Amino acid sequence: MISPDMVTIEVDGKSLQARKGAMLIEVTDAADIYVPRFCYHKKLTIAANCRMCLVEVEKAPKPLPACATPIMDGMKVWTRSPRAQEAQKSTMEFLLINHPLDCPICDQGGECELQDLAMGYGAGISRYSEGKRVVQDKNVGALIQTDMTRCIHCTRCVRFGDEVAGVRELGATGRGEDMQIGTYIEQALVSELSGNVIDLCPVGALTSKPFRYTARAWELRQREGIAPHDSIGSNLYLHVSDNRVRRVVPRENEAINEVWLSDRDRYSYLGLYSPDRLTAPMIRTDGGWREVDWDAALDFAAAGLRAAVDKHGAGQLGALTSATATTEECYLLQKLLRGLGSNNIDHRLLHSDFKDQDRAPLYPGLGQSLAELERRDAVLLIGSNVRKEQPLANHRLRKTAQRGAFIAVINPVDFDFNYTIGAKLIVRPARMVAALAGIAKALVGGSKKSVEPKVVDMLASVKVEDTQRAIAKRLKASAAPTVLLGNLAATHPCASSLGELTAVVSDLCGAKLGYLAEHANTCGAWIAGAVPHRGPFGQPIAQPGLHAQAMLDPGLRAYVLLGIEPELDCCRPAQAMHALRNAECVVSLSAYRTPRIEAYGHAMLPVAIYAENTGTLVNASGEWQAFGAVVPPPGESRPAWKVLRVLGNRLGLAGFDYASTDEIEKDLRAGDAGAGAVARGESDLSLDGHAAAELDLIPYVPAYRVDPLVRRATALQQTPDAGDRRLHINPRVARRFDLAEGANVRLQNGEEAVELSVTLDVRVPDDCVLIYTAQPAFETLDAGTAPLSLQRL
Amino acid sequence: MSGDAAGVISARARAHIDACVAKYPQERKQSAVLAALSEVQHENGGYLTTELMDAVAAYLGMARIAVYEVASFYSMFETKPVGRHSVSVCTNISCMLRGADDIVAHIERRCGIKTGDSTSDGRIYLKQEEECLAACCGGPMMMVDHKFYEHLSNDKVDKILDDLT
Amino acid sequence: MPAVKDYFRSLLLGELLKGMKLTGRYLFSRKITVQYPEEKTPQSPRFRGHHALRRYPNGEERCIACKLCEAVCPAVAITIESEQRADGTRRTTRYDIDLTKCIFCGFCEESCPVDAIVETRFFEYHGEQRGDLIVTKEKLLAMGDRFEQEIAADRAQDAMYR
Repeated sequence: MISPDMVTIEVDGKSLQARKGAMLIEVTDAADIYVPRFCYHKKLTIAANCRMCLVEVEKAPKPLPACATPIMDGMKVWTRSPRAQEAQKSTMEFLLINHPLDCPICDQGGECELQDLAMGYGAGISRYSEGKRVVQDKNVGALIQTDMTRCIHCTRCVRFGDEVAGVRELGATGRGEDMQIGTYIEQALVSELSGNVIDLCPVGALTSKPFRYTARAWELRQREGIAPHDSIGSNLYLHVSDNRVRRVVPRENEAINEVWLSDRDRYSYLGLYSPDRLTAPMIRTDGGWREVDWDAALDFAAAGLRAAVDKHGAGQLGALTSATATTEECYLLQKLLRGLGSNNIDHRLLHSDFKDQDRAPLYPGLGQSLAELERRDAVLLIGSNVRKEQPLANHRLRKTAQRGAFIAVINPVDFDFNYTIGAKLIVRPARMVAALAGIAKALVGGSKKSVEPKVVDMLASVKVEDTQRAIAKRLKASAAPTVLLGNLAATHPCASSLGELTAVVSDLCGAKLGYLAEHANTCGAWIAGAVPHRGPFGQPIAQPGLHAQAMLDPGLRAYVLLGIEPELDCCRPAQAMHALRNAECVVSLSAYRTPRIEAYGHAMLPVAIYAENTGTLVNASGEWQAFGAVVPPPGESRPAWKVLRVLGNRLGLAGFDYASTDEIEKDLRAGDAGAGAVARGESDLSLDGHAAAELDLIPYVPAYRVDPLVRRATALQQTPDAGDRRLHINPRVARRFDLAEGANVRLQNGEEAVELSVTLDVRVPDDCVLIYTAQPAFETLDAGTAPLSLQRL
Repeated sequence: MSGDAAGVISARARAHIDACVAKYPQERKQSAVLAALSEVQHENGGYLTTELMDAVAAYLGMARIAVYEVASFYSMFETKPVGRHSVSVCTNISCMLRGADDIVAHIERRCGIKTGDSTSDGRIYLKQEEECLAACCGGPMMMVDHKFYEHLSNDKVDKILDDLT
Repeated sequence: MPAVKDYFRSLLLGELLKGMKLTGRYLFSRKITVQYPEEKTPQSPRFRGHHALRRYPNGEERCIACKLCEAVCPAVAITIESEQRADGTRRTTRYDIDLTKCIFCGFCEESCPVDAIVETRFFEYHGEQRGDLIVTKEKLLAMGDRFEQEIAADRAQDAMYR
C-alpha cells in the first residue's frame, strides 16, 4: 500500500515511487539514473538556468528541466530519448561557445563537470568561429583563484553565498553576453565558508589559490581525514601526491559537516609545510642546541624529568597539552604524568577560572547532535563568535534561525552573525554575569521550579531590563530551547559563575545546555583525563593536581609540553614564558622549532601532526572519529603517541607497551565503566567575581590563530580572520582618551606594555579594549588580572 | 561595513526614496531599489558611482552586490560618467538586416568614438548595445534620449546628431 | 626413400653448394651495408629518437605543465613538477625523462596540446653514468634549441596527416 503522498512515475521505462512534489532530478538521482546538470545542487535552491538537465516528458510540448519539474502521478519521462539527447547536446553546444579551450592549464582539468559532460554530449568540432568572450579577473583574496572566462553562469556560487554562507559577496552583474559572475569591485571574500565555492564550481572558474598549478586531479590519491581545528570534527578528504598533502576537500557526512568545510579546515594543511618544521630530535647541552638521534634524545628527556622528580618531588612536574592533540596522546601523557606521581596536567591553557571544575560534566559537549541544533526554536548564545569559531555549528544555527527560531546572544563584542539575532546583550566582560543573571531572574519570576537559595540570594540585587525579560519570555515559551556556551564564556575570568548561571537558566526554561568546545579535541582531552582533577572517563582523583594557571604561576621545576606554543596558546603568555624559563627541565613535543622553545626548552622532540598522525578526535556531540596517517612526517618526526610510549618505557613506567593507537583507545575505553559518576562539588557563584576596572581587556583569539598549525597556514594568515595588531575601541572610549583612528597608544597591563595603533570599532562596548591575541606582538602582555591603562603617545 | 547613507545621498533624494519605500510592504524595502537608483543617478549628473550604490544598499538594507547587479543590468543606469545625450542604435536582427551595422559604423566615424564611449565635448554618448526596441517595422532605428528615430540613413543620422545641443 | 635421397645429397655436398650459390650471388650484387658512422640510413620525418622540449620563436618555452604526457606515458618514464611562475603562467619546475625506461612510442608527442615535447631524429646518444640517461628539463630544452629547424620542418611536412 502506497502512502497518499507518494506517487509513481516511469523513468526510462522503469517504474519509480517518490514523494509527491519532489523534483524529477531528485527522483532520478535516488534511482541512480544520471541526468547531466550544472546548476542543480542538492543543498542549494533550484535555479534551472543551465538547461543541461532537459529531459523528455510525456505530453510536454518541449523538453523540461529535470531539476525544476515536480513529479506527478503517472508521469512518463525519458532521459535518454533522441529528443532529450538532442536538447542536452544543443545546450552543451551553447555552453561551449564561450568556454575557453584551456583545459591543459586548468586546475579543474580531469575533475571538471563540463569536461566530463562535453565528452558525453559535446560535438567534436565547434561550429562557432567568432571570438569568444573574455572576462577580466578580479582578485578575491588569498584563498580562491578566479578565472571567470571559464564561468558558465550556473550561479551555484552566488546561491551559496546567499543561502549557506549568509553573505552575498558574489553576484551576476551585467546582462546578456556581458553578464559576469564576480564581486563587481575588487574585494576579498570574507566568508568563513568561502572555500566551498571551489567544490561547487562545476568548471575551473573558481579554484584553490594555494593549490594552483601544483598537481593534476589524476595524480592525487584521496585519503580520509578529520578536521583538526574546531569541535565539529568535519570529515574531509586529503588529496595526496608525492607524500605531500596537496589540498583538502570535504567528505560528505550529513550528521556532521553535511557537504561543507570551513576555510580553516580546508587550508590549514599549508601549515604542514612551514619552513620551521622540526625534523630531528634536539637537546640543549652546554654548547647550545644539538641534533641527536631518538635514543639519545629520549634518554636525555627521561633523565631530565626523572632528575627533576627525584630532586623536587613529583609535584614539581607538570604537563601542558594542546586540546588539538589526539585522545590517545592525551591519555598517554596523563598516564605518564600520573605514573610519575604527578596530577599536574591540563589542556585548558586559555582558561582563567577553574573554580567549577569539579562540577563540570564528563566533557564539555553540545549535549545534542548537530542535527538537533538545527531543530531548536530558541537559542541563547553566551560568549561565542560561533560563526568564526565553529563555522559549521553556526551553519546549523543559521538554518534554525531561518526557520524562525529566536536567537539571543550575550557577548562582550558585537560579533557579526549571518542571521537575524532576536535580542542581544553586548556588555563588557565584567558585566556578562550580571547580564545573564538578569535573564535568570526574569525566569525565576514566573517559574514554579525551585532554585537554590544561594542563587536566589545572588539574584536579589539584580535588576532586570526589558531585553533580558524578552529573552526570558522567548526561552520559556519555546518548546525546544537550547543554551550554548562559547569560547569566550569558557575563557571568561568568571567562567564558573557564567557556567553555574547558565545551568540555572537552562534548568528554568527546560533548555538543553551545550558547550561549543573550543578545540578539535577539547572533549577528548577531558575524556582521556588530561585534567588535573580527574582521570580517564572522569575517575575521581584523590589529590587533584594543579590546573594550567597554577602550573605557570608561580611555576614548576619541570614541564612536558605537547604540541603547544605557550607564548601564544596560554592566556597569560608573559607568566608562561617566565615559568618555563625558570624550569630545570622542559621537554617539548612539538612539530615546529621556534626561537621561544629554544629559549626555554631542554629537549625538542619532533612530532607528527594532523595528516601525519594517527589517532582519535572527539567532537562536540561526542562522536569518536578515528583517522590514520596519510603522509609520512618530515625527517625524524614521529607520532607523539609513539614518543610518549617510549618515554614511558625509558622512565620505567608500567603499561606503556602499546603497539598501535587502537590498543591505546581500547585501554582508555576500558575505563568507561565509571562513566557518569562524575564528581560534584559545591557551586561557586558570584556576581562580581572580578572587580570592574576602568578598562576591561578583551583578549580574543582570532579564528586563524587558534593552534600552531593554522598559525602557519600562510594563505589563511592573509585574511582578516587572522586578526590585526591593533587596539580596537569604540568611538566613545576613543573620545574619552582623545584618540583618533590610527593614533599610537601604549597599552599598559601590569608591568608590561605594548605600543599599538588604535582602530575605532563600534562592535566593542564601552569601557573595553579588544585585541586579537595569539600573536607574537602580544606575548609580553599579562592578559590576566593586572590593571589596564591606556596612554596616548 | 555599511556605507554611511546619510552622508552620500541628499536629503531630497532620501525623501524621494522614502516615498517609494512606503509603497511596498515593510519587509520588501528593496523593491524601491530601481526608484532609488534613478533618483541618485539623476542627482549625480546621470551616472552612478560605487559609493552611491553602496549608500543605496545601506539605505535599503540590501547586499551591496545586489545593488551592483541591478545597476549593471538595466540599461537606464550608467556606472561611469557619460555624455549628455544617450544614443543607442538597435543592432538586433531586423535592424541588422536593414543595415544597422553601417549606421553604427557611420556614427563611430563621425563622432570619432567607439560604442560605449562619449565624445570629448560631453555631448554624445553612444551606448554599448540596446536590444530590440520593438520598432522592427522601422528598421534601422535608434533611440536618442528616449525618443525613437526610424528608417535611418547616414544623412538622417547626421541631421539628428547635429540638432543635439 | 627420402632418407636415401638426403644421404646422397649431403655426401655430394649438395647443401654446401646451394649455400655457396647464395653467397656467390651476394658477392657480386650491389652492396646495401651502410658504413655507419661515416654513412647513415635515410630517416623518416616521423622518426622517434631523443626527446626535446621546444620553444616559441620568442624564446618562451612551450610546455605548460599540463602533465598529459606524464599521464599517457606507458613506461612511466616522465616526471613533472609544476608551479605558478611569477608572471602567473603555469610552468614546470621539473621535467625529467628516464630514457632507460622510455620505449619511444611517441605518445607523449601525440598527447602534447602545445607541441612542446617532441621526439627528434637524433638517436646517437649514450650515457657513461647511471644518471646520464635521465634527461632533465634543461637538457631537453637545449635539445630543442639545437634541433629546432629540423623539428619545425618535420612537423610542417607531417602537418597534413595530423
